[in-house]
Amino acid sequence: MSESRFHDSRLERLYAAAMHLYPAPFREAYAPAMRQAFRDALQDRTLSRRTLIPLVLRDLVISLLKEHLAMAREAFSRPALMYNALVLCALATGLALALNVIPSQVLRLGANDPQIAMASDLAAALEQGGLNETLQAGTLPALVSESGKIDMAHSLSPFVIVYDDQGHTIASQAQLDGATPVPPAGIFNYVRNHKEDRISWQPRRDVRIAAVIERVDGPQPGFVLAGRNMREVESREALVGQLAGLTWIGMIGVILVGTLVFGWSTRPKTA
Amino acid sequence: MAIGTAPAAPLSPAVFAILLSLAEGEKHGYQMMKDARAPEGGGVRLGPGTLYGSLERMMRDGFVEESGLSDDERRRYYRLTGLGQSVLAVELERLDAAVASARSLGLLPHGGRS
Repeated sequence: MSESRFHDSRLERLYAAAMHLYPAPFREAYAPAMRQAFRDALQDRTLSRRTLIPLVLRDLVISLLKEHLAMAREAFSRPALMYNALVLCALATGLALALNVIPSQVLRLGANDPQIAMASDLAAALEQGGLNETLQAGTLPALVSESGKIDMAHSLSPFVIVYDDQGHTIASQAQLDGATPVPPAGIFNYVRNHKEDRISWQPRRDVRIAAVIERVDGPQPGFVLAGRNMREVESREALVGQLAGLTWIGMIGVILVGTLVFGWSTRPKTA
Repeated sequence: MAIGTAPAAPLSPAVFAILLSLAEGEKHGYQMMKDARAPEGGGVRLGPGTLYGSLERMMRDGFVEESGLSDDERRRYYRLTGLGQSVLAVELERLDAAVASARSLGLLPHGGRS
């Protein structure tokens, strides 16, 4: 065997080995014919090796990419497969949203405890004794007696504040920046008509309070506000949001991998 | 693309070169590669992978069909279908119109190849 034929035979064997890189159905259908075409090209004396080898290498890379992409398209672009994946993704998204919204809502509602009981008990006591009489007699319930000791910005303790009918502070357990903040007048108007309101009150940009406001009726009407800093509840809400987000990413990942595995294992077997 | 319909977009150089090569009659892989490489065949340097990948998609689209195997079954022969001939004719008309337009703009000399 001449050196040139030995060299050609090696090139052909290398090309035959490279055939294994093609998707199996394509390889099974066309590998012998492709190998023959390569053999014919090697025997064509009008085509120099310097032209042929780069041409075949470039063709190998491009056609490998094309055939694998075509294979992937056939495997995964089936409508039923895509529809199932989309439905599962929608369900996973709905579930993750529920996992975020429901616990957050429960946490937020729970943040109104014990303010609900504090506000209604104090409002009932003030209503019974009369707001001014109770204050003048110095018999304000113990709840409000330790005035100004709670820092609304930092303490997680619940507190109460009593306002008169015009919204002026009468007594307060809590302070913010050395003063007792007053909710917007609209809140008092609402409570005048509806007896009670439960709000997230932001007396300062970085302070949010879970507040319950009760109406004090009678000859000396007023309002009782029971509140508590929401910092802890909000950090728990953020944690719930992170867990829901991680759950969503996990579910989408499982759906993606499942779809890829199922799509690949049930791909059309024809070239 | 559904079988039996001609493509609206221009053909890829590889598909055009294969159709043009098969317009002469049935051929095997390397003959098509050689024809495509020649300037009158489109001057497209086709390798075996691109050739057989294109042939597979062209068979699926109904442009070409396999016409047989060589005696040693290594060579596969292909020929144009009626649809393939129509597709080639449409593409040639499109190219002809483009060349005529180029001539009228003075981009090409009149009366044939320069």
